Amino acid sequence: MSEEAVIAGAEIAAGHDGAAELVLRLRYPGGTEGVVVLEAEKGLELMAACGAAHLDELAGHSWRKLLEGACST
Amino acid sequence: MFDVIVRNGLVVDGSGEAGFRGDVAVKNGLIAAVGTVSGSARREIDAGGRVVAPGFIDPHTHFDVQLLWDGAARPALEHGVTCIVPGNCSLSLAPLKAADRPKVVGMFQQIEEMPPEAFTQAFDWTWEDFAGYRDAIARNLSINVAPLVGHSVIRLWVMGEAAQQRTATPDEVAAMQDVLRECLKAGAVGLSTSFVDLDEHGRPVPSRFADFPELDALSAVLGEFGRMLQCVPEFYDVDITIARIDQLSELSLKHGIPTTFSPVFDNTSTPDNAPRILARVEEQFARGARVWPQMQTRPIDISFSLLRPSLFFARLPRWVRVLRQPLEARLHALNDPETVAKMVEDLGADGGQRMMGGLIVRGGDAAPAQMVGRALGEIAAERGQVPAQALIDISLEHGLDVAFLAADMGHEATDRIGPMLAHPLVHIGASDGGAHIASFSTYGDTGYLFSEFVRKSGGLSLEQAVRKITAETADIWGLEGRGRLTPGHAADIVIFDPDTIDRGEERPVFDMPGEGMRYVRDARGIDTVLVNGEVAYTAGAYTEARSGVVCT
Repeated sequence: MSEEAVIAGAEIAAGHDGAAELVLRLRYPGGTEGVVVLEAEKGLELMAACGAAHLDELAGHSWRKLLEGACST
Repeated sequence: MFDVIVRNGLVVDGSGEAGFRGDVAVKNGLIAAVGTVSGSARREIDAGGRVVAPGFIDPHTHFDVQLLWDGAARPALEHGVTCIVPGNCSLSLAPLKAADRPKVVGMFQQIEEMPPEAFTQAFDWTWEDFAGYRDAIARNLSINVAPLVGHSVIRLWVMGEAAQQRTATPDEVAAMQDVLRECLKAGAVGLSTSFVDLDEHGRPVPSRFADFPELDALSAVLGEFGRMLQCVPEFYDVDITIARIDQLSELSLKHGIPTTFSPVFDNTSTPDNAPRILARVEEQFARGARVWPQMQTRPIDISFSLLRPSLFFARLPRWVRVLRQPLEARLHALNDPETVAKMVEDLGADGGQRMMGGLIVRGGDAAPAQMVGRALGEIAAERGQVPAQALIDISLEHGLDVAFLAADMGHEATDRIGPMLAHPLVHIGASDGGAHIASFSTYGDTGYLFSEFVRKSGGLSLEQAVRKITAETADIWGLEGRGRLTPGHAADIVIFDPDTIDRGEERPVFDMPGEGMRYVRDARGIDTVLVNGEVAYTAGAYTEARSGVVCT
């Protein structure tokens, strides 16, 4: 098992303001999971940071990619 | 002699008790009698086959600006709403110094999507303080208004530019307390704050620079008046939202005030969020706190255009790559037949019928009227194209400024949401009426409550649903003498057909100042609406009545 949190999965959800948002499931060491919601631009930046062409390709990447995505603007 | 008698209706009085056949008499703007009423009136209304209920109360709106030229907050009133609460999310139009108007206008444009003309052509700025704004809207009201004052504007009043730069000093906090006190004396029903909202430049609104001692100090003033603290927590993160519930609960207990927060919505991708929020709310109510979660009735749609990249395409790598390019490169790619052919091919053998065929073509400034409101699949068939090709071509033909809508993409599971709406601690609201006007309609949530959760799913009884959006809302907000069909209460009354009450289809209209566009939904099944005893809407038309008041 990884010693740091990884992205376990990602889905698109409808946000409060009618925009599509990225719902990320993070799996922490020990197996617990949490959810992080990213607005469109941050979600697309994360996909770019992970080199993910498809939503399903986010799984397995380190949670640290979130920081890269967030810092890439 | 009464002024009005509504006869032979099914009286659902807001208490939650079973409805009964009877009459409701009105005199001098108040309910005068309920039951079998003898005597006569200057006007009698036959409500046979109809429900007679208290007017609905919408506790989360942004009609602050619209009220200055439209005292009915159209189309809220025709949906049976007789009282609205504007000033949510830390933003109100008072107190506001003349020099600070541009800043607040920018914030309102960000949230409400009002055209600039709404602030430059539609009214005269005659006020700076809250009493002045109250008087400005009070002249022409057909609907009742229970206004909040916004934390951001109070901060701006006291701190000027620094309101969006830092925490406040003790002296500034004390000054904010004085300003809030004046607003409450002038008729504000509470204070709104936000931990989420942005201005037009993408900067946090002033309330987000407040520390907890500032909020505590302002809540102490609310405690002097027993008034509401409304809050937008970081709703995108359930753990932070729960932490905010705990903070609000501490303020509620310490100062003896009601608090409310929104939005709370249920998505299948995060099915534990709303139940966890409600569980924490239950715990805090058990401690004696009042921390009301507001939940909307309507589903959430996703809308997008090719002007900006959307996660709607996140499962289509080529589309993401193309649409993330700068505008010039994006247009070049979308005009390249080879690229477009591959994009269409990515959708599979059906050409996007499954994923895109059901998309609804929306407004956008350039949207062709003959397409608005229709399904992309249908339009594509007429054009002899597959939906993916049609989506690209229609967008290109109109400068990419055509919006598409995927309906019911969130908060749409009626069997899950019905029980939550019926929960005794869930406050039905969060309509956002008057906000996001160019993106989607924020009207008709009350009709949808009855059509979807009473008539279709049976999640709530008729009486429960009425109580939720009348007496319960009045009690939560401390709106004395409203929300019930009881002698002595304000004669805010809605007469509706329980078999047909609903919201109409979403449609664009161009009735904002400067012919600005917004989306609305017409009311279905609403016969007549009385506000303080006068008929304000009947037979599908607004009347000349101006009987609305700023109510407390």
